[in-house]
Amino acid sequence: GAGGMKGGAKVIVEPHRHEGVFVARGKEDALVTLNITPGVAVYGEKRISVEGPPGPDGNASKVEYRVWNPFRSKIAAAILGGVDNIWIKPGSKVLYIGAAAGTSVSHVADIVGPKGMVYAVEFSHRPGRDLINVAKSRTNVIPIIEDARHPLKYRMLVGMVDCVFADVAQPDQARIVALNSHYFLKNGGHSVIAIKASCIDSTAAPEAVFRREVSKLQSENFKPLEQLTLEPYERDHAVVISQYRPDKKKKSKD
Amino acid sequence: MGVKSLFILFEHAAGYALFERVESEEIGMELDEVASSITELSRFSKIMKLKSFLPFTSAESALENVNSISEGVVSDYLKNFLEVNLPKVKKIKKAKFQLGVADPRIGSAIQELLTIPSVTNEVVRELLRGIRMHFQSFIKALKPGDLEQAQLGLGHSYSRCKVKFNVHRVDNMII
Repeated sequence: GAGGMKGGAKVIVEPHRHEGVFVARGKEDALVTLNITPGVAVYGEKRISVEGPPGPDGNASKVEYRVWNPFRSKIAAAILGGVDNIWIKPGSKVLYIGAAAGTSVSHVADIVGPKGMVYAVEFSHRPGRDLINVAKSRTNVIPIIEDARHPLKYRMLVGMVDCVFADVAQPDQARIVALNSHYFLKNGGHSVIAIKASCIDSTAAPEAVFRREVSKLQSENFKPLEQLTLEPYERDHAVVISQYRPDKKKKSKD
Repeated sequence: MGVKSLFILFEHAAGYALFERVESEEIGMELDEVASSITELSRFSKIMKLKSFLPFTSAESALENVNSISEGVVSDYLKNFLEVNLPKVKKIKKAKFQLGVADPRIGSAIQELLTIPSVTNEVVRELLRGIRMHFQSFIKALKPGDLEQAQLGLGHSYSRCKVKFNVHRVDNMII
């Protein structure tokens, strides 16, 4: 693919408020992540090369970023929507449920970097093949082709994580997240869930659906922290962010 | 009869591990306390001791074992590991210990095959969370990153198998 964003005004890349995420400022601003496999695009996305800080030899090195499309990734949409904290940063270990073909996963892998880890679970085999291929060149992505409703099946493959992200568009998504968290999410860790209202209940108002999902999480020892809709990128979608098993002692001290 | 001791089986991409619960006064500990004690290694290592660790010797062996564990089947490798490291049991009711396992299916398979009394409950689940959290610190022989490396290799081979050999492929409709 082409390098993208070539010609015209010079592009400057600045760190975003969220650690590990960047903004490319050119003719149009774009959300980008630092490509951990420079020279390779995962799904035909644009790449932007800028001059990085001088290396030990004094010569400036090239640093490559990949454009992160908010219409294709709910995490990107949440970031542009002004989410307070995505709980995914360099070094994070993430359990990613509903990894699909791994396009969004690849950006999460960019964010967590070489010290982080993404356990990417996908049940459908067709996108699963693509996911395995994405993971081949990204050694911080562990592909797991298995049913997220049965986390015990992949217990040998997953460590304790800082964050569980889920985008499975299933009516029992909250239960799936809770089930996985009971095995793999640290005390005080976070869950980030993309909810598509029509997948849970197509007859109820989206707001009512989101409320019900939040209360399901509360009953499983999650404390909701934040909820935001993904307009204008997705219709009737919300991202709900919660803390798992918040430390009761710490709270009373505050 | 006195208090039964509790062993915990932990299955990891790198191998099988057997832990033993120690410090008898903590046995009566409330579930809440167990849950909070798992966070700090200093506290957790006082209630759990590593008894034995058996690494997988090849990628093939690891794959065979993850497939068995995933289906709730006891492989020969696991059978040997448990026979060597747990006290002999003649009659299940007379056993002086219990084996805590993550999956009740593997529990009943172990119980049937080896007459080892197995248990899965809230406390076992909490202790397994603690082991998963601090496993690296217990296995001194492994360098940091070795455990993830094992998961990475096994994740790929497990997933490749799933995509290739799926007898239920018809059921996975593309929506």
